[in-house]
Amino acid sequence: MFSNLIFRNSRRSRKENGLFFGSMVISIMAFYLILSLSSQDVMSFLKKMESDGVNRLMTLIPIFYAMTLVILFFLIFFACKYQFERRRHEFGVYLMHGMRRSKLFGMLLTEDLISSGLALLIGLPSAVVMAEIISLITAKSVGMGIVDHQFSLSGSAIIWTLVGFLGIKLLALLILSGRISRQEIGTLLAQPVNHPKKQLPKAVYAIVALIGLLMLGMAYYMGNKVGGAWATPAKMALALGLGLIGTLFLFFGMRAFIALLVKANKGNKKLHVYTFRQIQENVIYKSSSMAISSLLILAALCCFGAGLSISITNKMYSDHVMDYTFSRFADDHYDVEITDDSTKLLTLVESKLQENGLADQFSDIFEIRLGNVRTTEDFENAYDMSAFTDAIASTGTKTSEDILNNLRYQGFPTLISLSSYNHLLEMAGETPITLQQDEAAIYIDPSFTTADEAELMNEILLTRPKTTLAGETLYLTSEVQTQKLCTDRIVTYSFALIVPDEVFLYQTQGDYFTYVNAVLSDEAKDGNSLMSVFTQVNEQLNATGLQYESYLQNMGRNLFFKVASSYITIYLAIVFLVVANTIMGVQFLMSQQKTGRRCQTLIRLGATYETLCQSAGKQIRWFMGLPVVVAAASSMFGIRALLIGLDASSGMSSNNLLLLVAALMMVLLCIVEFVYIIVVKRASDKYLLKLMDIKREE
Amino acid sequence: METILNIENLTKVYGTVPNQTQALNGISFQVMEGEFLGIMGSSGSGKSTLLNCMATVIEPTSGKIQIDGKDLQKMKGAELAKYRGQKMGYLFQNFELLDNLTARENILLPVSLHGMSEKEGQSRLEELAKYLEITEVLDKFPDKMSGGQRQRVAAARALILNPKIVLADEPTGALDSKNARSLMEKLTGLNTNEQTTILMVTHDTAAASFCKRILFISDGVIFHELRRGDESRQDFYERILNVMAQLGGGRSNVL
Repeated sequence: MFSNLIFRNSRRSRKENGLFFGSMVISIMAFYLILSLSSQDVMSFLKKMESDGVNRLMTLIPIFYAMTLVILFFLIFFACKYQFERRRHEFGVYLMHGMRRSKLFGMLLTEDLISSGLALLIGLPSAVVMAEIISLITAKSVGMGIVDHQFSLSGSAIIWTLVGFLGIKLLALLILSGRISRQEIGTLLAQPVNHPKKQLPKAVYAIVALIGLLMLGMAYYMGNKVGGAWATPAKMALALGLGLIGTLFLFFGMRAFIALLVKANKGNKKLHVYTFRQIQENVIYKSSSMAISSLLILAALCCFGAGLSISITNKMYSDHVMDYTFSRFADDHYDVEITDDSTKLLTLVESKLQENGLADQFSDIFEIRLGNVRTTEDFENAYDMSAFTDAIASTGTKTSEDILNNLRYQGFPTLISLSSYNHLLEMAGETPITLQQDEAAIYIDPSFTTADEAELMNEILLTRPKTTLAGETLYLTSEVQTQKLCTDRIVTYSFALIVPDEVFLYQTQGDYFTYVNAVLSDEAKDGNSLMSVFTQVNEQLNATGLQYESYLQNMGRNLFFKVASSYITIYLAIVFLVVANTIMGVQFLMSQQKTGRRCQTLIRLGATYETLCQSAGKQIRWFMGLPVVVAAASSMFGIRALLIGLDASSGMSSNNLLLLVAALMMVLLCIVEFVYIIVVKRASDKYLLKLMDIKREE
Repeated sequence: METILNIENLTKVYGTVPNQTQALNGISFQVMEGEFLGIMGSSGSGKSTLLNCMATVIEPTSGKIQIDGKDLQKMKGAELAKYRGQKMGYLFQNFELLDNLTARENILLPVSLHGMSEKEGQSRLEELAKYLEITEVLDKFPDKMSGGQRQRVAAARALILNPKIVLADEPTGALDSKNARSLMEKLTGLNTNEQTTILMVTHDTAAASFCKRILFISDGVIFHELRRGDESRQDFYERILNVMAQLGGGRSNVL
């Protein structure tokens, strides 16, 4: 009989509290998804190429796991608490009839195990399917053929999911049943009541809310100002602290504004005063958990925004021109004839490719010539561009300081021959530059400059500043050039001069070196994903003994960064969002139950079921909406601040990206909130229907 | 005088065969406009079932309840809700004020529920508050009021829509004797001056002595009826006590 009771109770709990059961399933999925990251297609592929990065990420997984554990503990705890609150009276009856507390605990544990088992039965397979879908989508979106996809089932992920999930459930159950067992039977049997909280004068709340708003404003300002929150860790801590306390203050003081809404009852709407008093009460009792939910949603939105912008901005295929770079040094163990004379490298590479039947794989093979000034012995002051730097300094902006920091020690610049650089520009589909014999163009690797800096330099370059290179006059002209010179990511020049070929040969005295760049032909790329073409060509090139650097490595790095950071940020975003919403939903339902008697009074006074549901719906929308709206408003500034912080160096100030990210974020937020509000509303309607059946108490 | 409430041969059976309990066994009575009727009886006599039937909390097994000539059993949904608020005012034993609403907001709840104009509601509120001596607590929350004030606020809420009948369910049950007396005096005043029809279920002989007529229920039937003529309240009280003693329980049943 006892086991029947357990089964029946367990089934009833699942039926009555779908929100709780749903949150268990979500927790299981969250655990599995983070733990199975290492067995994702893209990750196992990247292990071959970017093992360092992948390994470092994998060492971080336990930290994310622990974090998820803590966050989901709160989720489970709140959901469990709600469940227990609903059943207080029932527990009281059991104890009243002589059930021992240990037996009650055993019963609850068994009930819980049954529900957990079912949640695992649903959650784990769904998580595996979800992980597969994510794996497939990422594999597809980065260009790996579907052929490469392998079904993966991570045993360790399953075990740790079980351990984590059951662990937090047991802990939550222990704490809650401990609380129940400490209560007197009489308290358990009595209807739970909300004891009124002592209230301070209204003005105090209004002032606190205004201070909160002010603090939030300051935090936003610091986050969005260059040199603000991102300048030093201390400033960042201050901005975060202001934001955190500001949000708490705002929610604490919000009751003052809700009180105004209570009074604003135009047209004597049905239950307007009651509805807003209920909302006000929730805001009073739950101000800190509303603030925490709001902060969690903000964190979710920022994570989601960051993850999205990372995955949107890192376009891997469009921003590269060359696919391969051959350099002059080869590994010793290859028994091939290598020339020391770098000028002959191009010929060597071409003949090697020809010999190995690889010539048709490449559509273009060309060299980039670079060299140092050899016409003077004064290596430190071979180049003087004070006219240019003075002009920049005279603008007196923060940007000018950054530029000057970079240009300060450029007395001995590398030279690039104009014809080879123009070839590069043509390949990139840009207009070649033209230079007179006494003109030069500035080259800076994209990683050393920002859009703002380039813009400022371009303005100055319009004035053709006069400089001298080893005594010869050179006028700086054209725009700042930033094309990558070769595929090797290590090769970056913080400053170089592009000079006409004659000047180049004269200044280098013919002592220069080359990078031989190659572009894959369309035939080679035809019909295959870029990734598999590279893998194939690499294998063939390995046989030739040529030393090369392919774009694949670079791509692997990018890919790793993109996948890892967007996966984790979006994952965290969803976990935060789910937790925040579940906490709010459960809190609302709990307080609704505590104030159930009020609804019964309203029914006696002639409130219909529909009227009560409408009022409850409004309360839910406000209770869940307030944290969401505050978080959404904060996130607009938060995302901007994040983009400013993360992309300060790349100079991305694109408002379009911000808009796109914001729009996607809002769509996600609306969908999630809509789903949650519906779920909570349903639970509330069900509860109200139960109340409609009123009884006179003796 | 017009009949406000007409109860005809009302029965209520709980449970199914063979475990049936006959809570009401063919009760019939009428309540006239302006009457102050008390219903007394020991525990299990059926008075709660009777009140619940009238308050539309439970449905009778057979018989008829007519209010203002309309059959209660035929009312559904919106009409029923309208009956609960507009035709009938309900005074609870435990006041049942919403503790997060001020007295004024509590009293105006039925106004907002049943679409009475706010202006009309306000003037009625002021009139009632003045009479029930709760004007100074109108903007206070229930936890800042005394028990007597709370019940008077609850009374104002039950009366705000000028219902045809007020059903009072042990209204003095949670009050001390002084507050109970004061409430009963106010209710009697309303009944005398405003012709408010009141039907009160009570155990309290002192409270019952304020009624004009009392029905005694035992085992689901009306066992006795007392009418207060020109006699003093004290004399009426004595007569009620006598009937209660005859009911079999003596004083222990009364309290």
